[in-house]
Amino acid sequence: MTRWGMVIDLARCTGCAACEVACKSENNIPTVSPDQAEMGRATSWMRVMAEPKGAFPDTTLEFYPRPCMHCDNPPCIKVCPVRATYIDPEGIVGQIYPRCIGCRYCANACPYTVKYFNWYGPEWPESERQYRNPDVSVRAKGVIEKCTFCHHRLQKAREDARAQGRQLREEDYQPACAEICPTDAIVFGDLDNPTHRVAELKEDPRVMRLMEDLGTQPKVYYLRQRT
Amino acid sequence: MGSTRRQFLWAMGATAASVGVRWTSDVVWAAQGSGDPGWSPGTERFVNSSCLVCPARCGIRGRVVDDRLVRLTGNPFHPMSRGGLCPRGVAGVQLLYHPDRISAPCRRVGARGAQAWEEITWDDALGQLGARLQSLRQRGQPEALALLAGYCAGSMHDLWQQFLQSYGSPNYIADDYDDGTAAVMELMHGIGRSPGYDLERAGFVLSFGAPLFEAWWSPLQAFAAFAGPDGDNGAPTRFVQVDTRFSRTAARAHDWAGIRPGTFGVLALGIAYVLIRDELYDAEFVARHVSGFEDVADAGGERREGYRSLVMRNYRTEEVSAVTGVPVGRITSLARAFAEAAHPVAVCGPDVTHAPNGLLAACAVHSLNVLMGSVSRPGGVLFGNEAPLAPLAAPVVDPRGRAGLDRGPLAPSQTPFGRGDPAMRFAGAVAAGEAGAVDTLLLYYANPLASALRRQVWEEALQRIPFIVSFSPFHDETTAHADLILPDLLAYERWQDAPTPASYPYPVWGVVRPLVDPHPGARHTGDAVLAVARQLGGSVARSLPYESFETLLKARAAGLFATRRGMTLGDAFELRHQQQMEERGWWLPEHREFEAFWDEAVDRGGWTDPFIDETEPAGLARTSSGRIELLPARLLEALATVGEGRTAYLDVAAAAAGGSDDFPLRLIPYRVSTLSSGTLPLQRWLAETPGLFPDVHWDPWIEVAPTTANTLGFANDTMVWVVSAHGRYRARLKVFPGTAPQNVCAPYGLRHPDGEPANPLHLLDGSSDPLTALPNWFTTFVRLERA
Repeated sequence: MTRWGMVIDLARCTGCAACEVACKSENNIPTVSPDQAEMGRATSWMRVMAEPKGAFPDTTLEFYPRPCMHCDNPPCIKVCPVRATYIDPEGIVGQIYPRCIGCRYCANACPYTVKYFNWYGPEWPESERQYRNPDVSVRAKGVIEKCTFCHHRLQKAREDARAQGRQLREEDYQPACAEICPTDAIVFGDLDNPTHRVAELKEDPRVMRLMEDLGTQPKVYYLRQRT
Repeated sequence: MGSTRRQFLWAMGATAASVGVRWTSDVVWAAQGSGDPGWSPGTERFVNSSCLVCPARCGIRGRVVDDRLVRLTGNPFHPMSRGGLCPRGVAGVQLLYHPDRISAPCRRVGARGAQAWEEITWDDALGQLGARLQSLRQRGQPEALALLAGYCAGSMHDLWQQFLQSYGSPNYIADDYDDGTAAVMELMHGIGRSPGYDLERAGFVLSFGAPLFEAWWSPLQAFAAFAGPDGDNGAPTRFVQVDTRFSRTAARAHDWAGIRPGTFGVLALGIAYVLIRDELYDAEFVARHVSGFEDVADAGGERREGYRSLVMRNYRTEEVSAVTGVPVGRITSLARAFAEAAHPVAVCGPDVTHAPNGLLAACAVHSLNVLMGSVSRPGGVLFGNEAPLAPLAAPVVDPRGRAGLDRGPLAPSQTPFGRGDPAMRFAGAVAAGEAGAVDTLLLYYANPLASALRRQVWEEALQRIPFIVSFSPFHDETTAHADLILPDLLAYERWQDAPTPASYPYPVWGVVRPLVDPHPGARHTGDAVLAVARQLGGSVARSLPYESFETLLKARAAGLFATRRGMTLGDAFELRHQQQMEERGWWLPEHREFEAFWDEAVDRGGWTDPFIDETEPAGLARTSSGRIELLPARLLEALATVGEGRTAYLDVAAAAAGGSDDFPLRLIPYRVSTLSSGTLPLQRWLAETPGLFPDVHWDPWIEVAPTTANTLGFANDTMVWVVSAHGRYRARLKVFPGTAPQNVCAPYGLRHPDGEPANPLHLLDGSSDPLTALPNWFTTFVRLERA
């Protein structure tokens, strides 16, 4: 059975944030005005978190690229009163925008704070309409949106593979963040397919998941720094 | 049985959902635009090209749907980017469709700086420029034309040079990034260009303040070495960063050491001390290829001290530790790790050279490479990554042009080494000199009012120049003072070439090609220059006999086809195969015809020659002795005349200066990878989160140590004035534990959302290294006031 998941090697991540920008570009994520951003209303499905420790010169800093964890046991789904947020049979946690009523229960239930609420309708200045991705719908005011592992790419890749009469290959389906990463820190694939790199990497001794003790069973794995 | 809480919520949800649908009924839910009649998903294609946003010149691949560029990723064939890209490159689509783009040629109608423009036709605009240049030349004053050019390596640079030369102007003023290392290489190797670093094959990279992962020549080059080849679980290159602040490079290097600003050279010599004391250096290499290491008796029989004695006498680890703030044990362990690594290389960043003792410090850093023999060998310092392009047509200079050239540049360099800050020098000369010395100034990707150290000097200079022409595709501070704007196309709409910067170990010649139809109101500056040349006629037209910039580019690529080496870009396997073939002396042509070669080079994104010939003696030194000079005679002479009492490598005292009561904190300006330094507008994706701090959006910020913020009584996020004796600007204070308590770290390249400038460089004290005239970045002290 296919279970899509991600392994992020923290020893390779340089915190450059190419993944963040590539995600915004791929998924039609609108920018907000500086005032709105100040109020915490900027949306970033993928976010590089930085955690500094210690004092100069004994400082350390860890970068955590943080997409949706696509939990196998997602807390957001349990609280959704209208089944707008769901987990598909291959493990991708999605959001059905027309069904979402904007109650924001899921945003509050998510321990990883990856669900974003649209306080206003997206503003698309004429200039920005030009580069919107035709494969991804824009979201309306009053709904929650989140990382989808770029599942529109999966649909396309499946259709292409079917048209060519072959199986889906690992490289056919890669989300924008994994595709762009210049240090190859983000690896994506089928966790249950032994030929995919993620299946091997998730068995690495450095592996960990965020807030594992909550029982959410995230499908985004991190490989700790080498010491 | 009452309903459960859960059933209640479902019911609530159903009610709310019905409200929700009505509430948002005007929204198109399916893929965007599908509500429009006649909408179709479009036809997509992927096109390889090169990025021109920063000097790194990475390969890019554009996803074009119909005729819109919707996404940029890395070109998987480009050896440097290999499918990856930095955030600025990805955000390039926001430049292409930026609302501040100038939509047509404009003529100024109001006062200068008032931004009142009248749109004119291209014929009219080029006619005006051509007539002006024609009359200037006829009056016998071709040298009164000056060009201020930002970073433009490659054929655009060569075209400008050729144009100015045949026209008769010696005033090509560079306003670009200079890390000051070319002067060091000129002195020690007789090779006057910045060095290339073979980071990928290096075992140990010791970086002296080089912002390798942020805003170096090419962050992607450093990333490739840092991450190692795809899927390689072997030991990747080990990075150690020595820095004045806890930068992103320091954070991600395998190890880092904090150091006092201005003491990089002292630390390097402290490391050299350990290498020599413990006999860890490559004695054979030094004996064979290096001069100035041992003491010598000169012609008069007088004994002259060599590098070894200098270092052993002056740079004992205890003393070095006291000056630099790096513990003794740390110096020793750094030196040992450096010496024991398979292929060590020391990288000298701009922070080393932009100091009162910058040139000496940079020589000291590079002397570590010389001691370890890390020159012209795998994993070391390499020279010669220039692509063998066909030269432009031979320039024709008529007597009128010759007279202009002979009058020499308006503001020649006054210092013994390097070129200093030519743009600032030019502005100073114009502001101080007679009006009319410069009649026409062309601005090509330069915005000195935003980026120069002395904004006021530039304002005065601009007032004294009668005619200013800007080729900027965007409205910016300096373009606001132009009389004529001829907007350039963006990199995604035009033909150009993109050679990798000096730091790359072998030549990669990237092709820039149009991904989408060009903006109807803009025109390629290269084509505009060629049109003006045709209009001028005579020697200028004969020097530039090209129909368009595209034909010029193609003519130059013929040199690559004829060279019988290298290949059009290919995947990792093809690249390795080519490398191994050439190592064994083989080369197979990929194409019989040039046209086929050109088509494939364009299709794949360029040409490269991955073979590095380390056996070539000219790659080691081109000095008169054929050896690498540790104590170059020219340096000793210069020190005797303008050295202000300094002697070679003795730069211990400069660091001692501290703050005063009025200005207690040292200002550390730095570049951020997401921002440009003035010639490009802010891109919304990048401005929304420009740095490390997730809660900084759009606003310029500064970084202060927690203890300092406490002492000053400023909470995190306070808006403060950063005040020096030379100016002030407003910024948000961020408490950051990676800042030394006596410093304020200030990124540059940001403006306030309302356009208010916030450039820490405007606060600098204006002092410079007397040997190179490079400005001192870290000698200015500031205080913070509540805004």
